[in-house]
Order: sequence, then structure tokens, then C-alpha cells
Amino acid sequence: MGAFTHILRDLEQIFFPNRDQHPVPSMDGPFTPNSRLDTLEVIGDPLPGADDVAEGADGALYVSAGRQVWRLDGAGYARREVVATFDGDAGALAIHPDGGLLVGVASQGVVKIDRDGHRHWLREAAGTPVACVTAIAASPDGSILLCEGSARHAPDAWLRDLMEKNRAGRLLRCGPSLEQPAVLRQGLAWPDGLMTDGTTCWLAEAWTHRVTAFAADGRRSSAPRVILPNLPGYPARLAPASGGGFWLAMFAARTHLTEFVLREDDFRNEMMRTMEPHLWVGPALATTGDCYEPMQWGGLKALGIEKPWSPPRSYGLLARFDADGTPAESLHSRVGGRHHGITSVREAAQGLIVVSRGAGRILIDRTRARA
Amino acid sequence: MSATTWDATRFSKRLRASYSPRLLLSELLLKQWFEPVIPFTIMLGLFGYFAVSIHDYATFPNIQSLMRLYAEFGFVALGMAFSLISGGIDLSVGALFAVCNFATLFFLLVLGWPIAGVIAATVAVGAVLGGINGVLIGYLKARPFLTTLVTLIILRASVNLLNERYATVFATNTSDSTVWDFLGEGFVLGIPVNAAALFVTLLIGHVFLSRSRYGWHLTAIGASRKAARHAGIPVERMLFATYVLSGVLCAIGGIFYAARQSSTDSTTGVGWEFQALTAVVLGGVSLAGGKGTVWRAMIGGIIVFLLTNGLVRLGIAGYFTSAVIGIILLAAVCADVKWSKNRGKAVQKIYVNPARLPLSPAPSLRRESGTPFAQNDRLLAAEAIGLDQVEGPEDVLIDRQDRVYGSTRDGNIIRFSGPDLTRREVFAHIGGRPLGMQWDREENLIVAVAGMGVYGIRPDGQVFKVTDETNRTWYKLNDDSRLRMADDLDIGPDGRIWFSDCTTRYEMTTNSLDIIEGRPNGRLVVYDPATRKTTTVINHFHFPNGICVAHDGMSVLIGSTSLCQVFRYWIEGPNKGRLDLLIEHLPGFVDNINRASDGTYWLALVGIRTPAFDLAMRKPDFRLRMVKQVPIDEWLAPGLNHGCVLKFDETGRILESFWDPTGVNHSTLTSMREHRGYLYLGGLENNRIGRIRLPDADPDWTGYDAYWGNKRRDRH
Repeated sequence: MGAFTHILRDLEQIFFPNRDQHPVPSMDGPFTPNSRLDTLEVIGDPLPGADDVAEGADGALYVSAGRQVWRLDGAGYARREVVATFDGDAGALAIHPDGGLLVGVASQGVVKIDRDGHRHWLREAAGTPVACVTAIAASPDGSILLCEGSARHAPDAWLRDLMEKNRAGRLLRCGPSLEQPAVLRQGLAWPDGLMTDGTTCWLAEAWTHRVTAFAADGRRSSAPRVILPNLPGYPARLAPASGGGFWLAMFAARTHLTEFVLREDDFRNEMMRTMEPHLWVGPALATTGDCYEPMQWGGLKALGIEKPWSPPRSYGLLARFDADGTPAESLHSRVGGRHHGITSVREAAQGLIVVSRGAGRILIDRTRARA
Repeated sequence: MSATTWDATRFSKRLRASYSPRLLLSELLLKQWFEPVIPFTIMLGLFGYFAVSIHDYATFPNIQSLMRLYAEFGFVALGMAFSLISGGIDLSVGALFAVCNFATLFFLLVLGWPIAGVIAATVAVGAVLGGINGVLIGYLKARPFLTTLVTLIILRASVNLLNERYATVFATNTSDSTVWDFLGEGFVLGIPVNAAALFVTLLIGHVFLSRSRYGWHLTAIGASRKAARHAGIPVERMLFATYVLSGVLCAIGGIFYAARQSSTDSTTGVGWEFQALTAVVLGGVSLAGGKGTVWRAMIGGIIVFLLTNGLVRLGIAGYFTSAVIGIILLAAVCADVKWSKNRGKAVQKIYVNPARLPLSPAPSLRRESGTPFAQNDRLLAAEAIGLDQVEGPEDVLIDRQDRVYGSTRDGNIIRFSGPDLTRREVFAHIGGRPLGMQWDREENLIVAVAGMGVYGIRPDGQVFKVTDETNRTWYKLNDDSRLRMADDLDIGPDGRIWFSDCTTRYEMTTNSLDIIEGRPNGRLVVYDPATRKTTTVINHFHFPNGICVAHDGMSVLIGSTSLCQVFRYWIEGPNKGRLDLLIEHLPGFVDNINRASDGTYWLALVGIRTPAFDLAMRKPDFRLRMVKQVPIDEWLAPGLNHGCVLKFDETGRILESFWDPTGVNHSTLTSMREHRGYLYLGGLENNRIGRIRLPDADPDWTGYDAYWGNKRRDRH
């Protein structure tokens, strides 16, 4: 069987030389590893489960962490308070042009909290519950775009969704008060990054490691154009960058072993059936040091040194791209680093805000305040 | 024995676990003698086919006549083989053969020389004509292909001219010499005389090519002319001699042909150069030079001959036969090029053969589990000795003067001494990868060295070899007499050195593949200083690693890394020769085992069994594809970044554990030694030796005394 697969693959390469091979790209050029994420300044105490960040019109930061949404303001965002609490984990965040706060709540739906505190809920679309909102973007015209990672799992079961190789995500659009939801696209591979300027919409799909762009005026989307075809990590939230490009957070790095396990159905199915998810072979948001975690030979500590270049179980990766998708720079936290599992990024008034979900930390780079 | 695992104490089970068809094939492909197997099979198959399809084919008279018909071609093919092995080619063999055939008849029938003179003169003609080739190719560095092509044309034209002139003379004269008739029609022990001569020539040629200096020089030139020159081989002279030899062989063929046929015509030897080339390449003599034997040339020759002869007798037209030979030449050349280029790769591709290895259930390591294995932080307080001054002390050993020795990856035994153990010196440089160590009675440090064998170091630092080979297993294809990876050793009360040779299929640098393969490739070996003999005691064992002679000297404890189990092998007493399972359920991969002062044992776990790795061990195909498709650094591994020392008693019960759970100080901890109230720690990949205080241990106990002094337990 193994030989047959090999022959098929070889034949495919001969007859379809241009077909996408989708191998794990090496991190070089603008992706050359560094430890810049580790050196970033940390805002306050840890916020366990910190996931997404948005900047309000008043300059305050809103951060979702666990079941709460926090508001961070003041110099260096040192002051923090809880502004909302839900029955499920708060995930994706966005600020509506009218000042309302949009929050994706795991297994509950999406809520818009108006300035007066009034809550509008969207709990289902096209007859299916909206239980796994992974990204929200509000158009300048007031309409709201939503990513649903998967119709099968809650946001924290993302690893299971990856290992089941699901393509069950949807892109939804609804009105300014979350009314009249319409399904723009479905069959997406865990879409979890969304950005729009009113005419064009950028969408990151984690399991296909790509970012696409399409026109999104009106209730339909045009055919997507692939901007980033084969990323070295699993993309998460997108955010506009000053100068016209965009930032992309990547919550884990791809490894050859994970890609291999994704090809090995028998092993993967038994793994899912018999093992706890945090012990599976696959990407993770943080390396916990649990002795039962899978290890790779390259991760062997040699002469007391934990090699930063060893195959990562978790990784911190954030990259900036030009508008046409050319990578401009990247910030890393390598193996043994502190700030892994980057799920969100936002250019704010006081600096570049980075959310490390793995570490439960909000990081700031004051040299990159929004221009 | 639980149902999920299998009984590794039984030899038959282990033997079966070490067998796999792919593995057999990979080992066969590594054998030089396996290469001509395919042509040899074709040869037998062809003979069988014709025996069935042609009446009276497999009868003795027919075989005799076949041999007689073949022998002359055999000489010509042999000449071609020598020129190919030297890295060249001799296309003039067919024409040379025809010229010599003519020369023989000319000397005999026209000049009327005696037989001996005829033979000598013809051989001289062959030698001179071959020598022309030799001068052009050897000394003038002409291309063999073009040179011999030109000689082919010239000789062929000459022999045709001469034939026209003398054909009638030959046809009307005959020789009435009985010697001449014997050369043409005689038998030696029932074998036609020319075939007998060919056989003798082959024997001489074989010894010449494979056993003599000149044969080796010839092969070396064929493999790389430049390298041979750099090695001081007289390339010009050897090449010259090769073509002379080729000419002589053609001459001998010509003599026999003349004696048999007593005639010459324009078709004598036509096309033989290509038949010979086909034959030799088909037999497995490489076109690229430097590879081939006389037997392979003969196998190929016989195939071509049987085919030509058989097809003619089946009534198939001659041009069709030629076409078939041509196609065979093409196929053989392609196979030769592809095979010599890819053989190594092919072997590499099928060398690793993972086997299903379901491990017995593992006890929990969780802190809250309440098992004796539960993780703790007892090793975090370890004091560091020689921090960053040692590279991977796999084993540690302490002498009676409290000096600490570590076996490091740079092939050294490093010694730390002084009050704070800060004085570092290279006690001895051995090379290889020194691993397990132990004191013998004379306080020599005996050490197992991966890649070398078992060595000893006298107290003055002088290194001596103890042993580097054991008896070869008669039924294994792989020659396993060399010690591949001596891993750990211990010494019995009678001075016998028991040691593990953890794999016979891999090396120190690739031993992770042995774990991935999960087959019983290792063995327990014993060296007896009384007889100076080394003997394999347990063959086909799963990665034997830690070795410890029990306190009473009656048995040897063996840690199996890939089975995650500890075994006891009885060396004395009523159970002598029996292998028992001592510890069945372990949560990690076993490394060294050593004695503790209270009559129990220390055991290091180098790796932790993770659920993912356990699952992979049950899926051999997964591991095989992983090895092929994923880079080495990305392979799934056991959890290695931690340190763990266990203590167990004579019954195999685990008493307690010492942990560095995330490997802060001691990751890949492979060994520990108790000495005067301290436990010293070594690690395969670590940058230090560590030690922790053992408050309850005997403060006077030393390893040496436990084996040879007043702390022995085998006497009372």
C-alpha cells in the first residue's frame, strides 16, 4: 500500500507538475526565526484563556479571556475591568462602527452589546446553531461578517476538528444588529481570521493554511482569490497594518509529523478514539511539560540545551504582509520561548497588541503604535 | 504474562519476531554473492525450458556436445570480462579470435610446425595483437572503445583477405597428429578437452582476480583509474597486461576452434564481440568497470550460448536470434546502470522493518497516582559535577579514592578528583562511544565501547582490548561476529564479563532506528577471561541495555529498552541458563541497572512511554512510513527530556523513584551509581554528572567493595 501511494504521488508529480503539493514551507527569508515575541513587553498579570483583542473608539482595549470580556485602558493599558460575562467562553471580538461590542460566545452564538448595554443575540443561521464563532469583522457600512470555524465542534475542540479533517466552517453576513443572517460561503477549513475594508474581505483558513480575498459588497461573495497559499503555521486572526498591509497571527507551526499523522488515517483514528486530546500528536497552543506529551527526536535536550530549532509542539508566530500578500516581517517565539499560541493581533493607539493564548498574556510593542 | 504482550523469555518467539521477508531481502541484497543470483536462475530456467521443449536435450551426450561448442566462446567472453573489469572494453575479441584461428591453421597446415610450436606461436600472435591494443590504451591513453573498434575492423579485414588466399590450402591439407585430434575431439574425465581447459582457466582466473595483488589492482583501476594511480598502482602496465591477457584468451579459444573445425571462413567469430559483451554484462560484470567475477562472466556466457543454440535447434531463424540477443543486451545494460546506481538506495529503503510491539500496560506516573513511580522533584536538588566539562557521560563510576569517572561521547573516560571534584582530567582516550563501565578485581576499569567492543583501562590509564568479537550465528545472513554496540557490562564473581550488544543491525548514531524497528536485534554476550573466549548467550533480544550481576552472583539482570521490561538470566545454581521476566510493567524505557548498598538495585529510565509512542509501537506500518516520509528530527520519540531513577528489590518490586520531571538538570538520565552515601547520576546527552545525598544509605559502601571487597553479599 505504501509503495502504491508513492507511485501515485510520483505519477501525480509527473503529470500535474503545477498541482499544489502543499509541503510544510521552511521558515526563511522574512520568516527567518527570531525571538522577538519573547522580548515584547507584557501587559499586567496573565489572563488565562486570552483569545482575541479589539480596540474601542475610546482607545480602550477589549480582550476576551475565558467567560469574560475585559476592558483595558489607561497608560500602558494598566487598568483592567470585566465588562461582560457569559455562559460560554468568549472568543472572537470586534467593535461595530456604531460603538457596539461584538462577542462570539462558544456554544451560545454571537452577541452585540450596544453602548447602552442592550444585547442582540444571533443563535442560528440557515437552520443550524451558530456555536463556533471564530472571527468577526464589521464593515464600515454596518453589516457584520462572521466566521464559524466548524459546524461540528466548539472553538476549544479545534484540534479534534483538525484531526477529523473537517471542512465544516461557514462565512456568514448579517445586518448591523445581527439580523437576517445569510450564508456567504460554506465548506471552509476552520476559517478563523477575517478582515474587511468594506469592499474586499480577507479570510484565513487554518486547516488549509491559506488566506483568500474576495469582494464582499452585497449579500454574495465573489470567487475567492488566494493571497497566501501555503503558510508555515496555522493562521488565526487578521488585522490591518499601517501602510496598507495586514498582520496575521499564527497559533501554531506546522510540523512534518503532524502533516504525516493527518495522512495516516488508521493511526489518527485510533489516537482520537483512545487518547486524551492534549496528548495527541498535533499542534498545541502551549507546551505544558506534561510527561505524557508526544515528543520528537529533534526535541531531545542535548548538553542541557533545549534546542530552539527543534520541531515545535507549540510556537509563537506573527507576520506582517503587504497588501498583495508579500511577507514583510515576522516575530517568533521558538521552542523554549515564552509566548506561544498567538491567536490575535491589533494595531492600537499605544502600540501593537499581541495576544498569546498559550501563555495567557497580552503583549505590547510600543514602537509600533497605529500610525 | 498478560494477553497484550508476548513472552520474550522464549527463544522461538524472539526468533520469529526477528524474521521478516523484507528484512531477509534487504540482508540478501547486501551480500556480494547474491548479485549473480538472478542471471544464475535465468540460466537454470533456460536449460530447463530447452530440456523440456527439445528432445534428448538433457542427456549426457548432448551436454557434452554443448560444452564442446561453448568452450571457445567462453574464452572469448572471459577476455571481454577482464577488459570490462579493468574499466575498458575489448571489441576486437571476435576478430582476434578469428585471426588466431587462422594463425593456428596456417602454422600447422602451411608451415607444418609441430603442435607445441603452433600453440606457442598462436598464443604469441594473440599476445602481440592484444599488446597493440594494450599499448594504445594503456600507454597512449586512447579510448578503449574506439581503439578496439579500429583493431576489430583492421583484423577482420585482414583475416578475410588471408582466408580467401588460404581457404583451399586448409581444405586440402589435414594433420594426422593424435595430439591435434585430442585437442579437437578428446575428453578429460568425460569432459570435452576444451571445456576442461576453460574450467581450469576459470579457476586460475578466479584466484588471480579475487586473491592476487594484480587482480585487486585490476579491479581498483576499473573502479577509479585516477584513485588507482594515486594509490601507486602502475596503471599503464596493468592495462597493457589486461589487453595482452584478453588477446591470449582469444588465442586459446582460436586454437581449440581450429582443432575442432580445421577450417576457416569469413563468418568465424563474426559478432562474437557483441555476444561476449551481452554475456558478460548479463552475468553482472559492470560496464562501468571495477565489478565482476569470472563466474558471473561465465553465467552470462552460458545464457547467451544456450539461447542462441536452443533457438536454432527449435528452428527459429538466425536474424530473430540476433534480435533477441540485442534486446537482452539492451535490457542487461539498463539493469546494470540502474542497479549499480541504486542498489545502496534500494537496500536503504527496505533495511528498516518495524515490527508490531505491543507493550505491557504502563503504571501511572502522575503525582497524584500514589504509585511508587509517581513523579517528584527529588533530583532537582542534584549537585552538579563537571558542569559543561563532560559531553554525555552515559555511565558514571567512582573508585575507592572517591574519584568520579564518566564515559563521554568524544571517546574519553573523564575523571574528576579533588575535594570538590573540580579537577578534571582525561583518564583515557579510547575512541568509539564508551558506555557502561565496571571495576574488575584488579581495579582495571572495564568499559563497553559502542562501535569497538569491550576495553579495559589499567589504573595508570593504559588502554587494552578485552574483546571485539563473538561467535557468529550460523543461520544469520548478516555477519554478526563483530560487536556492534556494546552497551553496558557487569562482572561476575568468577571474573566473567557479561555485556549487552544492544543491536546487530544499527550503529550508535542510528540506534534510535532500532527502537523504531522494535525487533529483537540485540544479544547478551559473555567474555570469559580464563579461556579468553567470547560467547553469545542470549540471541535475538529486544535492545538489551542495562546489565547487572545480582548481589548473590547467581544471575544477571538485563534491562530491555524497547520492551520496557527487566529480565533475569541465571548463570549459576539449579536454574542456570533460564531466562525469567523480572519486572513486567514499567512506564519507561529501561537503561542501566546497578547495585544499591541495601541489597536492592537502581534502575534508570531513559525515556517515558507516551500514549502516542505506545500507539506507534503497535502500528509497524505507521512507523515504516514515518521513517520514509518524515525527516529524522521530526520522528515521534519517547519522552526523553526528564530524569528518572527507580529502586527495585530482588523480587522486581519497585520501591521508590527519584525524578527530574522536565529534565532541568538531568534529562536522558541513563545511569546512576551509589557510592558512600551518594547517588551519582550520568546522562547520555547531558553536560554534567550529578549527585544527590542518600541519607539512609550505608556511608561506607562502594561499588568496588560490593563486588570484590568486604561489602559482598554473595558469600553469606
